[in-house]
Amino acid sequence: MNASTDTFDSRALRYIDCYGQRFMREGTYRYHVLSRQEQGLASQEPHTIRVCPRKGDGRNGSKMTQHAVQLRWAKGRFAGSVDELEIEVGDIVLWNCPDPAAPAYEIIGDQEFFASARMLNECGFTHAFGTPGSYAWADAHGSRLGGVVHVKEVACKTRGDLAQWQQQLSKAALVMIADGKAEPAEIEIVAGQTVYFAIVTCKGISVTDRRLLGTSGGPGKDSHAANCA
Amino acid sequence: MSKILAAIDEGGANTLLADAIASIPTLSSSGSASLGPFSAGYSVHGHFASGGVDLIAPSTVRIQHLRFVWQMTLSFGIDLNDFLPHFCLPRVCVDIPCVGRVCTPKICLSWPTIGVSVPFGDFVEASADFGIDVSLSAGQWSVQIAVQNLSQLQFGPATAGILFLIGAAITPLLLFIPFIGPFLAGAVDIILASIGIAGLTGFLGPILSPFLAGLKVPVYQQDKHFKVLPSSGPVDPDVFIELDAVSAQIQHSDEDELVLSVDISP
Repeated sequence: MNASTDTFDSRALRYIDCYGQRFMREGTYRYHVLSRQEQGLASQEPHTIRVCPRKGDGRNGSKMTQHAVQLRWAKGRFAGSVDELEIEVGDIVLWNCPDPAAPAYEIIGDQEFFASARMLNECGFTHAFGTPGSYAWADAHGSRLGGVVHVKEVACKTRGDLAQWQQQLSKAALVMIADGKAEPAEIEIVAGQTVYFAIVTCKGISVTDRRLLGTSGGPGKDSHAANCA
Repeated sequence: MSKILAAIDEGGANTLLADAIASIPTLSSSGSASLGPFSAGYSVHGHFASGGVDLIAPSTVRIQHLRFVWQMTLSFGIDLNDFLPHFCLPRVCVDIPCVGRVCTPKICLSWPTIGVSVPFGDFVEASADFGIDVSLSAGQWSVQIAVQNLSQLQFGPATAGILFLIGAAITPLLLFIPFIGPFLAGAVDIILASIGIAGLTGFLGPILSPFLAGLKVPVYQQDKHFKVLPSSGPVDPDVFIELDAVSAQIQHSDEDELVLSVDISP
């Protein structure tokens, strides 16, 4: 089955993508949400994240609390559900713009570690794969990192099948990217499921559909875990 | 006053009208109309084929199984939100080792509108009663038959298959839509059911019936100033007569005949 309409790229986030970033140090971080056409034209007022000292364990005793920023696309610009967000050290912020009509965008922070297009440490990118097929991904910044996501077709003939499928959708697959390796290099999911690419440490990568890079090699090629550098 | 009479029986009328109808150029039209719940654009062209001619005194020419053979291209948009269930990707959580649990938000999808273009063709036929129309215009006599009554349209056997063709056109378009997989088979069935045979004939009938209802078939055309003998030399000019009056009617004697009566004068 053809999968050409379903591409993904952490450098160009869409409504079925999320970008998450943990903040491990106190401080004030500013960022822009820019469509791909606006790159380098950061004329809007930036959004702010204030990272305060950790007062204690987060919800459910964890060391991390998640904060969601839902973006809106209106009048040719992105706006956040909050312009200023106060969090604690170790918390993660997750951005998503659920509007299918919004253009592809990226989160551009004022620190090197804080950018969806070039993810370094303690961050992540999620994509919901909607069309069956095999999707090879690679790093657009030139490392040999990559992998393959095999997306199986779903055929629901009964309500029971549909309910089972919807239950499957509530489970994400996880790809850990740490110490220059992506593990697992190949994963299999069903259409509609989400993959969370969690970047623990790296030198700045993207998770990009190989077809968007114009490089040769079908799914599976160069897909085994490789060094970031 | 002198008179010319010409008569043809039903056999002759069959041949005459078959030739006359076959000579009618291709007819076409375009526009938009309701196809079930959709507003569909169309362009249609076609030609006629005669059926069996029945001459009925005093002035009716009945053609049974008058057939219009047509080709159509149909285009319409389907807003899938009207047919598919509202669908949301659920909130999805994942436990990241040494970090904790991270959850994506619930994301609700809006299905797209797809454009469908389907070429197809068939025939439609009806029995038509024609009246006889005689006129003089710009120095030319014209006898034609024009439809006065039309029976209900009968669609050809391929018309029911048009729904199948629409389904075949929709399916590959749906395959490209993310997240539609589980709803795919049902979507095509629901869309076709929303049109139905009734929607299809309700769409085609008003488009095709004007072609038949407005049909005029030329039977006879002649200049009023009619050359009966051509010139055979400088001293022997063309010979003309005047066709002063023309009439046509169906006469019943031992058989039905279409009779053309022409009053002439030098």
